[in-house]
Amino acid sequence: MRMSIKKTAALSVMIVCLLFTGCGTGAGSSVSGSSASAAGSSSASASQDTAAVSSVLQEQQQTSSPSRKTFSLKHIPAFKNKPYVTVNGNDPTFTKKQLTAKAYEHYSPLDSEGRCGTAVASIGKELMPTEKRGSIGSVRPTGWHLVKYDIVEGKYLYNRCHLIGYQLTGENANSRNLITGTRYLNVDGMLPFENMVADYIKETGNHVLYRVTPVFKGENLVASGVHMEAESVEDHGKGISFNIYAYDAQPGVKIDYATGDSHLTGKSAGSSDTGGADKNARGTYIINTNTGKFHKPSCYVLSRTKDKNKKKYKGYRKKLIEEGYEPCKICNP
Amino acid sequence: MILIACVDDDGGMMFNKRRQSRDSAVTKRIADISAGGVLWVSGYTEELFADLGCSNIRVADDPALCAGPGEFCFLEETSPGEFADRAEKLVIFRWNRRYPSDVKFDIDPDEKETVDGYRWKKESSADFAGTSHEKITEEIYTK
Repeated sequence: MRMSIKKTAALSVMIVCLLFTGCGTGAGSSVSGSSASAAGSSSASASQDTAAVSSVLQEQQQTSSPSRKTFSLKHIPAFKNKPYVTVNGNDPTFTKKQLTAKAYEHYSPLDSEGRCGTAVASIGKELMPTEKRGSIGSVRPTGWHLVKYDIVEGKYLYNRCHLIGYQLTGENANSRNLITGTRYLNVDGMLPFENMVADYIKETGNHVLYRVTPVFKGENLVASGVHMEAESVEDHGKGISFNIYAYDAQPGVKIDYATGDSHLTGKSAGSSDTGGADKNARGTYIINTNTGKFHKPSCYVLSRTKDKNKKKYKGYRKKLIEEGYEPCKICNP
Repeated sequence: MILIACVDDDGGMMFNKRRQSRDSAVTKRIADISAGGVLWVSGYTEELFADLGCSNIRVADDPALCAGPGEFCFLEETSPGEFADRAEKLVIFRWNRRYPSDVKFDIDPDEKETVDGYRWKKESSADFAGTSHEKITEEIYTK
């Protein structure tokens, strides 16, 4: 059903493709769009839409453009068991010209190493999937390894991570939209943002300009992380606005980003605070014997808990759950 | 005060000065349960009710400080923990989704005994479908 919508938007796609080629920004780029959101718009606004799409796509090729300058891996702090950090004060760097209510999606061609580049889309309901996700197992992103660790939820260290999540644009086995990402990146880093954008679009019918850039250091095959920006269009960022960097990391696992090789670290065993929702990590937790919940030592719920109900525990998080304790929903230990 | 809040699976309420999510079914539900009483909200929250014509809404910068006994307060932008002593009832709408958050719902209603002596008792829990959320859970707690 979604494909048929795309086909009916052929004219709009052609306009974008022609414009894209005309800018000399790379043959083979994958652009598709839908005119559904632009139905009834005047030729003047259609022209503005096209200019907005063009502006975003050109920017992918211009590392010297103002918005691309604002992000550098040099300014990202080392991973400290938190799934993401904000960038540029959490403000996205789109220009007004780039914000368009005309739905489209663009996935950069793979580079000479076979690595993904920026994926950008103006996402509206017309791009969202109407069917369950298909298989993506045929895609083998750079640095891919099938490796399992007991400390990783679901055991598999690596997932095929969509740059633009399936729930947003319905892309299945698109090699330009899938990178090798840790389970932690996929579930704790990216998914909450995708959920927020998807639910906003479903509720309001508005569009969200959404850009995800995998950040590779040098010639590494595995991305260090992903830079994610989004801004809601019709309400000028009132509903959705963020600019974050999510780490392609996994607590307790050391990754060689050049190759994708990995091994367990001894450090995680002694960590005092696991952070995030790393469901099988080790660390120090405070059990509330009254509620049967366990918390991070820093959880502020504990400030209102009687000392006699607190019990310190050091060890596997998994063991606590096996013993019937529940993780606190506030601090998400 | 009857404290109302929307919460995700990580106990989050807001991210980057914006609500994590919204659903017109929840807004309508809040309007319904507060009808006949006073509903305190911030200016930011008021806009959710713009199309419902609620005449019981009172707007304040610190709605939780203004709400008196028996009055409703729908809190979005502030962690409610500091107002827990003044709340006689909690109405929590759970999105059953994970979103990013930097403002948290810092009351643990499952806490049966605290240093301040609060004891929350779950009165009810009911699921309903929203306009954009498959399953929203409404939980009511009383002291």
